[in-house]
Amino acid sequence: MELDDFRHALDGWLDEHAAALAPDGATGTLDEHMAQLEKVKRLAYDAGFMRWGWPERVGGLGGSPMLRAYLGEALTGRDLVEPGIYSMTETLAPTMIDHARPRLAAEMVPRLLRGEETWCQGFSEPGTGSNLAALACRAIREQNGWRVTGEKVWTSLAQYAQRCVLLTRTGAPGSAHGGITALFVDMDSPGITVRPIETMHGAPEFCEVFFDGVAVPFDRTLGQEDEGWSVAMDLLPFERSTALWHKAAYLHRRLQDLVEVVPADALDPAALGAAVQLLAAFRARSRATLYRLAAAERLGPETSIDKVLVASAEQAVFDIVEAGLAPEVLLGDDPGGSRWRSEYLFSRAATIYGGTAEIQRNIIARRLLDLGVDR
Amino acid sequence: MDPAELDLFDRTLRDATEAHSGAALDAALLELGWHEALAHDRRAAVSLLFEHQGRAAVTSGALDDVVAHALGPDTAPDAAIVFPALGRAEPPAYEGAGGVVLQGLGTSRLLRRDTALVVVRARHGELVAVVKTAELACRPVRGMDPDLGLVEVTGAVIVVAPVTPIDRDGWSTAVTGARLAVGHELVGASAAMLELARVHALNRVQFGRPISAFQAVRHRLADSLVALESARALLDAAWQDGSGETAAMAKALAGRSARTVAGHCQQVLAGMGFTTEHPLHRYVRRVLVLDELFGSARALTADLGRHVLTRRRLPPPLPL
Repeated sequence: MELDDFRHALDGWLDEHAAALAPDGATGTLDEHMAQLEKVKRLAYDAGFMRWGWPERVGGLGGSPMLRAYLGEALTGRDLVEPGIYSMTETLAPTMIDHARPRLAAEMVPRLLRGEETWCQGFSEPGTGSNLAALACRAIREQNGWRVTGEKVWTSLAQYAQRCVLLTRTGAPGSAHGGITALFVDMDSPGITVRPIETMHGAPEFCEVFFDGVAVPFDRTLGQEDEGWSVAMDLLPFERSTALWHKAAYLHRRLQDLVEVVPADALDPAALGAAVQLLAAFRARSRATLYRLAAAERLGPETSIDKVLVASAEQAVFDIVEAGLAPEVLLGDDPGGSRWRSEYLFSRAATIYGGTAEIQRNIIARRLLDLGVDR
Repeated sequence: MDPAELDLFDRTLRDATEAHSGAALDAALLELGWHEALAHDRRAAVSLLFEHQGRAAVTSGALDDVVAHALGPDTAPDAAIVFPALGRAEPPAYEGAGGVVLQGLGTSRLLRRDTALVVVRARHGELVAVVKTAELACRPVRGMDPDLGLVEVTGAVIVVAPVTPIDRDGWSTAVTGARLAVGHELVGASAAMLELARVHALNRVQFGRPISAFQAVRHRLADSLVALESARALLDAAWQDGSGETAAMAKALAGRSARTVAGHCQQVLAGMGFTTEHPLHRYVRRVLVLDELFGSARALTADLGRHVLTRRRLPPPLPL
């Protein structure tokens, strides 16, 4: 399947099934967003579109990751799915395909693609945010499997998730990058407690997850014991390619929505122009990254530039929103106003999650500018 | 050009810009086949040469060539061109009641030619006029960047020799080409400033360690790289979609990024970079002037914002 054929077929399908794909009711709450995401994934999977770009051994139809990039662009650009919750599929399916035992991947990945399951990513901990390699959630080797005890935080969608890609400490405390093992954990295992966190933007998508002696079979190990750091790092190219491209489509859509309704005198044209340029530059950068991914080039620290650009573009776009639609953002309690407000507030986190703006600059300084260590 | 040819062409251009400037660089470009490349692979010719020209802080008449090439196939390949006045993008001359009024800029090539080409906004479209340079008032500019060799051109009435009408899109095509060229030159100058600051940060020891170990310094340099790479990405997009609007956005972003990079690098280079013994000042001066050619970042960005608000539509996004 070539990209142009895929684009043509998908656009036609989306037009034809617009009514069935549209949300059944409001999409104000996270529950409603999740229900909409499941529905769209199921319909797109059954029509074949959700299977292109994934390998056949996990239920896919093969083809370039560019097909997935376009699918997510079309879905977010038409406001059918929210890109943040959709991105979990893009980042966690490749992890399973590359690192799970083949039978497990073949069994589980189709459930994620078809929207039958939600997965979460248990990485950050209360004591390890930016310094991920210091994580402490412990997995102890017992006769019949791993026994996991510890705590994760900022785990997106854990309250909805059936599975978790979990990073655990299997080496000695202080073994840093060298003593981490990745596990694929059933979220209904005894000993797991999930507590959603109320956040300022109003959607409780982040959770605390507590593990109290949770049993995990050995065959749920992703990659090799003590080599979980490379599993985590292999996830990065996907978080920084297809998922960012989808974000670009979403930001374009929302900025377009804004310019259709904003009072002409409510915006500084220079600020609007700068946001449009920045978004276009981010999109151009992300497109080039996708072409490198599709050519099987190894994506590395240069994607920190993409990450800095997406955060800058997102905040620039929603700064414009807040300035141009102040009455809606600040006073509005209807669904439109609430949505603009929630998105504006969430954009403040763009320089925090997925590696802070400061961590990205540290990576750029050390790995791209070759400035040596910072101490 | 295939990848091997491109690579060779790139290295040839790098060597030429490192060795020559001004008329000597023009001669070198003629000899190495840059004009043929401009005709057959405009993107490679323009993006590679101007990035090297910006990096080496040298001058040439290549911008004249880019504009001449855009104005039509019959235009002499090494003609001198009168560009718009500083900060402007409309043709430098217009047909008024009392004749043609001219206000523009040229490269130093203008002083070495007997004639120059001037695009005139006439009552019924745009024309290319051949004018005698001896009859123009030409002032070699020193100003902010004496090494750039700009010439300020004015004239109330000029003698117009053979006049050729140009296509409806001829002038905008020329402006688009010039903006891409200057955009690449700004990116090249930005890359050179970043490299100067980077090397300095690694070598300059204070408080017992190189200042490159201080996060306040590292983050300025990281932001500089992000700024110049974002401009480079948008320039690439402009070549891909071929639209004048994307080229204007890319030129604006290149100008704004170059000012950002200049600010960060000047701060990192501190006292050393403030002396004329260090090359930084040449780049700082240059990017300020380049930013104004064919529309500054400030003006192009505000124009874009006004345009979007009037149309109620964003520029079309770059497709996958």
